[in-house]
This record gives sequence, structure tokens and C-alpha cells, in this order.
Amino acid sequence: MEEKTLNYVIQVEEELPTLLRRVTTEEMVGFDNYNENNLLFTHPISRFHPSHASSTPTSNGQEVSRSSIESMEDHHNYNESHDKETLPWTHQRKPSISMPTSPNILMISDPTTSLSSDNNTSGSTGKSVKFLSQPMAKVSSLYIETGNDEHDHDRRRHDNHHHHQQHHQSGQLQNQNPAMHKLKDNRYNSFKTWSGKLERQFTRKPASVEPEAPNRDKQNMNTNEAMPVDRYYDALEGPELETLRPQEEIVLPNDKKWPFLLRYPISTFGMCLGVSSQAIMWKTLATAEPTKFLHVPLWINMGLWFISVALILTIVAIYLLKIILYFEAVRREYYHPIRINFFFAPFISLLFLALGVPPSIMTDLPQFLWYLLMFPFICLELKIYGQWMSGGQRRLSRVANPTNHLSVVGNFVGALLGASMGLREGPIFFYAVGMAHYLVLFVTLYQRLPTNETLPKELHPVFFLFVAAPSVASMAWAKITGSFDYGSKVCYFIAIFLYFSLAVRINFFRGIKFSLSWWAYTFPMTGAAIATIRYATVVKSSMTQFMCVILCAIATLVVFALLVTTIIHAFVLRELFPNDLAIAISNRPRPKQNSQHRWLDQLRNVSSENIENYLKFTDLDSSQSNDLEAANGKTQESDSA
Amino acid sequence: MRSLEIPGQEIHIEIDNPIPRRKKRNTNLADAEPIVLMSVLSSLHAGYFRISLSLCSQALLWKIMVHLHSEIPSAAFHFLWYLALVTQVSLCFMYAFKCVFFFDLVKEEFVHYIGVNYLYAPSISCLLLLQSAPMIKPHSVLYQTLFWIFTVPILTLDTKLYGQWFTTEKRFLSIMANPASQISVIANLVAARGASEMGWKECALCFFSLGMVHYLVIFVTLYQRLPGGNNFPTTLRPVFFLFFAAPATASLAWNSISGTFDILAKMLFFLSLFIFISLVCRPNLVKKSIKRFNVAWWAYSFPITFLALDSVQYAQEVKDHFASGLMFIFSSMSVLIFLGVMLLTAANSKRLLRRDPVLWSATAPKDK
Repeated sequence: MEEKTLNYVIQVEEELPTLLRRVTTEEMVGFDNYNENNLLFTHPISRFHPSHASSTPTSNGQEVSRSSIESMEDHHNYNESHDKETLPWTHQRKPSISMPTSPNILMISDPTTSLSSDNNTSGSTGKSVKFLSQPMAKVSSLYIETGNDEHDHDRRRHDNHHHHQQHHQSGQLQNQNPAMHKLKDNRYNSFKTWSGKLERQFTRKPASVEPEAPNRDKQNMNTNEAMPVDRYYDALEGPELETLRPQEEIVLPNDKKWPFLLRYPISTFGMCLGVSSQAIMWKTLATAEPTKFLHVPLWINMGLWFISVALILTIVAIYLLKIILYFEAVRREYYHPIRINFFFAPFISLLFLALGVPPSIMTDLPQFLWYLLMFPFICLELKIYGQWMSGGQRRLSRVANPTNHLSVVGNFVGALLGASMGLREGPIFFYAVGMAHYLVLFVTLYQRLPTNETLPKELHPVFFLFVAAPSVASMAWAKITGSFDYGSKVCYFIAIFLYFSLAVRINFFRGIKFSLSWWAYTFPMTGAAIATIRYATVVKSSMTQFMCVILCAIATLVVFALLVTTIIHAFVLRELFPNDLAIAISNRPRPKQNSQHRWLDQLRNVSSENIENYLKFTDLDSSQSNDLEAANGKTQESDSA
Repeated sequence: MRSLEIPGQEIHIEIDNPIPRRKKRNTNLADAEPIVLMSVLSSLHAGYFRISLSLCSQALLWKIMVHLHSEIPSAAFHFLWYLALVTQVSLCFMYAFKCVFFFDLVKEEFVHYIGVNYLYAPSISCLLLLQSAPMIKPHSVLYQTLFWIFTVPILTLDTKLYGQWFTTEKRFLSIMANPASQISVIANLVAARGASEMGWKECALCFFSLGMVHYLVIFVTLYQRLPGGNNFPTTLRPVFFLFFAAPATASLAWNSISGTFDILAKMLFFLSLFIFISLVCRPNLVKKSIKRFNVAWWAYSFPITFLALDSVQYAQEVKDHFASGLMFIFSSMSVLIFLGVMLLTAANSKRLLRRDPVLWSATAPKDK
């Protein structure tokens, strides 16, 4: 304990010079002299006195520092900002270098406000950090040198940072200006990989001095455990669980535009799906028999294919950046019950690319490529399907939603690709697994179980994903068995039926907010069109040819309209990437929300379904359980064992 | 004595003659063995038939292996088969005695939503014994008679159980479904295989479709993990291995019916393989149940044996290295697990018979 207090003391002493530096900038110049001193002492007290370059008795310094510590503590306790409080310290210091003081006054007020606000925020989610002061005038180069020292101190301080939140904060805010845009970063810190430590490794600038204080609690919370699925359901609503419920708060400020990477959802991979499936469609249109009368040129396929390659590369690169820099945000997306399905999208896009490769480039793909493409698929599948089966909070009866089709379709696409490459056993494997799980998913979705909260009550473009699995399954079965026989026809007719039942309800699709994930919902239409072409190859009639043309035209039109809408949103409205609220929900529910009040709130929300659901199915409070395992290890079993 | 007399009257005090007590003690000694037997019988439950199930399936595996690879000594197979026969017969007798003396307990088991499934187990074991018998030819009359004797209980249980699912109001499938329900499916599929071995294709197809339809329903229901059906005791976690036993048995049955390991059989085999890998990658699921030995551990053995059987058939059809590798892996895994569980049983035999609470008593859903 003594050591701790000693450290505490010494830490505080470290902090104080920063204040002083703000107050009197002469210390900046004198600071460089103390480099050697800094290295000598673990926690240099000499920094404390700018005049200490020569020899001032350290005891004096310590006494002085202790009294200033007390005043510092008092200052913290008051949580107020008084310019005058800093003045006693300056009296104790002997300024050795004269510098203009007027800007200092400005600077004085700021650190104290930041201190006080940090005091406020040390236990909270960091939201109040946004009350911090406005960006300061740039005093650039001086700070850069000091940053190095800060860097060293920072490293040493890492061990103690649990105890010294506030002081840390103040210590690092000494670099006002470069830290100013870092003040903004503080708020996003919790989302950064290792809370910004990675960024620190990359940059040796004062940017490396990341205040971790306000988000400390959140850090610990975030890195330790996954957010339970209940939190997502409580905080979000809507068919894609994107909209924040009115009573929820988020941990990032909503009035500012977040960093681009934080706003970049995984659903952008839907674009890759849409475009690459178009490439396949145009290739089929050009090469298949029923549509030969259209004389579709092959360069459309080639153009689309190259576009999709470029698109995939870009999106993958950006998302990789996001993974590297903002891993926490990626983690939250992974635990989002809807967004998890989009994690299959990159791999499905790669499969589409392999399927749609122009014949002039490559006709025969090597077989190891298939194994390479399917390997990440099977890993992800084992995880997700196992989650469905083993229960717990992410069991299928709870999280089933139409987007889950994305998890299942990949199996069929892989089977289709493998069969077209000439493989035999692998495609059957994936077809079997996909079929079994598709069956389960289909039944579950059709049931619309009352425990299922993610199923949208209204129609939404996501429902088009229903068409995806049977259409691709029919094509895959045809390739596996070699001919478009009964099995394929059955699947194909199911797909067409679902397509039409959704298409005639097109009126209900109006008035829905556009989002990038809509691109993912276009590939089922394209898939249905391609399946129709394959069907028409076997069943030759003008009716089937007509259907081919119609479906392809619809698919093309939809993609084109979506493209135009995307461009409008991107460049005209500039809101293609709005703040991604879904990943910023707070880990703790609102303080008022214990179960009683939640019930009352729901009463207020006047939804009888909610009440019914709550009253009937309230066994879902097992938020402590690991999402992997069934929350079955209750006391009764242990008693009976 | 009129005990209602108001105190004041004499109260007779009778002192027991100590001799009858001694007699009691003597009779205690004489009764000691029957009492032990009674306690054994009362603690025996249908779950013990997992042992015979494992032995019989192991015997079938050895038979097919011996059939394919003649370098394996058939003496081992014979020994195993006779061992399985002995175990099965003794277990059957003991259970019959239990029905006689403790009919209430048996009735309780019958009513319980997990226990009722294990009433299929004796029939399955007998059918497997029949199919792996070295001396009985499939087309003989003896085979046919025995087949029918063993299949009739399956059919009756089927009618009772499956009919209940969609007709009665109380025993909904959504509540009653649990991983052990797959045993009923396995029973039908094993019967299908037996029938097709005899040459009765239609009968085999009938059993197969019965099993598959109900397997579909159970599979979907179990995957959904509806909130009502959460009470599956932790000690019975090994029963989760049934998830991949069912498709493996289906694949075997279809292989037998169609004559070749065609695409449907392959698909079922792959599904079983996938679920196996998925379960194996989740050690947490079974970690809790491994703490103490239990007869439920035998539930690890026979699903893997079925999967091994299936992989043998698969390797026969698809003659490449991957398939042979799979066959080798699963067969050795099956034998090892079988031996391991047998050793553990031998080591824990006292615990096995002496104290075995009816595991499912506390957690039955209220279906009054």
C-alpha cells in the first residue's frame, strides 16, 4: 500500500508540471534540459521545478510538491474550475524563462475544465467529454518534442494506470493542441483496437498520448465480455435492428459525424454481392441457350466482373482497416444478431467472382481454389450453426431473422461452384449441410415464433432473401446430379413462388429508409433470374424464355435503381454512411431499467405484444451465460446430478 | 388396554421379547442378498440399455470390418458378439424382474419425457444383435421371426409416442422434444435396415419414411431450442451425441435399401459428419457432465460406432484416401471410446449400481 501511495504521490507530481506547462510555457523550453534527469529518476521530481536544472534541494521540492498535491487534490474534490487555484502553484514555481502569458490565461481555464469534466466522467461512459473546450490555437512544434518524453512516461505509467485515471487525463492533456483533435478521439477510444494503443505504436507524435481515463470502465467492460444479445434487442428496433429506441443512449456522440471507419458497416459487403451476381447473370445471358436470341455481348460480363473485383478489393481493404484500427466496433458488429450474417458476405462474393469469371480470362479454375475459398466458410459456419443448436442467448428461436439466409446460401453457392469445377464429394457435403440448416431456418421463420423479436412485422426488402436459397439450391443440385431433374425443379418452383408472392406485395415496400444493405437483397432476384435461364434450358418453350427476359430485366432495373439511389445518397445527400448507431449502444441498460420498470415502460409503450411476450417468455434473463453454451446449467440440474 | 383411560389407572408396559429381534437379525442376514438385488433392480433403469446398445453396435461394426478386411481375426468379433448377447440377455431379464417387482417405477419411466425414449433401447439392441449375428442368415425363418418379435415393441411405442405429439393437448412436441427423442428415430431406422437385409424392401421403406419424417420434425424443433424445452439435465449431456447418430443411422438404412451408397446416403453421412465436428469443437458443452462417472457416458460410445459404420460404407463406395482416412479415424475412435467407457464402468461398478438417482426425476415438465 505504501508503494501505491508513493506512486500516487509521484504520479501526481508528474501531473502537476503539465498544468504548469500550460500556465507558463517557459517550461517547455526548460523541459528539454531535463531529459537526462528524467531518465535518472523513475518518477522525476525535478521536472516539477523548472529551475531544477541545476541543484535545488529535492526535499524542498518534495515539500512544495506535497503541498501542491494537497491543493491539487482539493482542486479535484471541488470539481470546479478556478483560475485562481492554479495561481498558488505558480507562486511556488520560479519561472526561469519568460514567455508571453496572455495566451496562458486562455489555457488555464481549459485544463481545469477538462479536469473537472474528467472527474465527472471517470465513472461514466465518456459522453460528458464532449463538454471539453474548443480546439486551441496551434502551438505545434514545441509539443512534438515533449511528446517523446510523454511517450516514455506513458510506457512506465501503464502499470499504474488503473489507479490514476484523472491524473492521467490531466497529464496527457498538457499537449493541448494536438491533443485537441485527440479529445475527439477520446470518445472513440473505446472502439479502437486496444483502445488506441495500436495507434500509439504507429505514431510517435503526441497522438501517442492517449488519455484512457474516461473510457476506462468501458474498456474493461468491452474487452472482457461480449455484449449479450438482449442488449441489442432492448436498445434497437426495426427490421434490421438499426434504429435506436428512443429511450436508449449511445456511448458515442450523435451530433457529430464519427470517423469514417466507425460509420462503415459490414453490410457494405452487400454491394459486392449485388454487383458480382449481376456479372454472373450477364455471363449466363450471353452464353446460355434460351437467351441466345438476345445476342448479349460478353463484354458486359467482363466489365461488370472487373468492377466487382475492384469493388471487393476496395471494400475489403477498408474493412480490414476498420478491423485493425477499430476492432471493438467490429466486435460489436459480430455480436449484433443481424450483422453477424453479413460476415458471410465477403466469402460469398468471392465465390460469385469465381462463378462469374469471364470465359476469356479463365475457363478452368484450379481445384485447390475451391478448398481455399470454402475453408473460412466452414469455420464460420461451425461457429454460427453451433450457436443455433447449443442454445443460450443466441439460439435460433430467438435470433431467427431473414438475414440468416445469408448464412445458409453460402453453402449452396459453394456447392454450385465446386460442382462446376468438377468436384464430387465436397459439393455434396456443403449441399447437405446447407439443406438441413435451411430447412430448420425456413420452418422457424415461417412459424414467426412469439419469442422471435427480430422478425419484422412489416414487409421489408430483407424478405427477398427468402428467394435466394431455393434458387441457388436448384442450380447447385442440377450441377451436382448433372441434369435439371425433379429435385432441382422442386426447389426452383419454390423459389419462383416466393418471388411472386413478394413481388405482388410491392406496395408494402414503400416508404422504407434506404440503407446499404439493400444491395444484398438484390442478389436473390438475380439468382432467380439465372435459375430461370437454367430451367428454360431444359424446358424449352416461349413462356420460359419470356420469363427469363422479364426476370433478368427486373433484376437489372432494380440494380440500376439502387445504383442511382446510392449515388444520390453518397454525393448529393452525403449521407451514405450515417452514424452507425447499432454498434454504439451502451453496455449497461438505462439505470431505471430493472425488470419492474421495464414492464412499466413497456406499458407506456402501449404494445400488448410486448407485454404478452414479456409475461410469457421471461426466461431470457441469462445474460451472464456464455453465449456459446446453453443456459441450462441451472441449479436444478446440479441438484439432481 | 384402553388407552383412552384417564391417568390414574394402571398402565401396562410390555417389554418386547428380545428373541424375535434376534430372529429379525437372522432374517436380515438371510435377506441381505435379496435386498441388494432389490436395490439394484430399483436403481436399474432403461438408460442402462445404453450399455447393451454400445456392445451390439460395436459387434456390428466388427462384423462389417471382418467382412471387408479379412486380416482382422474373427475370433475377436465372435467373442464380442457373445459378450453382447450375454449382456443383453441379462439386462433384459433384470428389467423384466423390475417390471414384476417395481412396476410403479417402470410406469414412472414410461411417463417421463426423457425416460420413455430409452424404452426403445432393448429393441434396438436386439435388432442390432440380430443383424450382427454370425450364425443366423438374413433370409432364414428364424431371422424373420426374431425380427418381428423385436419390431413389435418399436411399433407400439411409435404409435404411442408419435401419436401423442400431434394429437394430445398436454404433451406438445415443442415442450417434450429433447435430444433423447432421436432414439425413437434411430429405432425405426435400424428396423428399416434389418428389414431390407431380409429383402423386404417395402417394409424397409415404410420404416425408413416413418423415421425420417419424425426425424425432420425433431431436428427442426431441437435446432430451434424453443424456450419451453430447456430442462435437459447437465448429466445427460452425452446424449447430445445422438444428434449425429440419427443421420448416420439414416444413411446406413438408405444404403441398405437402395443397395449403393448413393447421393442421399452421402448427404446424410456428411450431415452427420458436420454435426460431429460441430459438437467436438464445443468441449464446453460436455465439460460439465464429465465430472463424475455416470451410466450416461455409454451414450458417447454408440453414436460414434454408428458414424464409424457409416464411414466404412462410405469408404467402400468412394475409394479414395480421404474416405479411407475417415474410416480409419472413426473406427479407431469408436473402439477406443468403447474400451475406455468399459474400463471406466468396471472401475466404477459400485457407484454404478449402488447409487443412481433417477436422473430425470426433478426436471420433468409438469404435464398434469
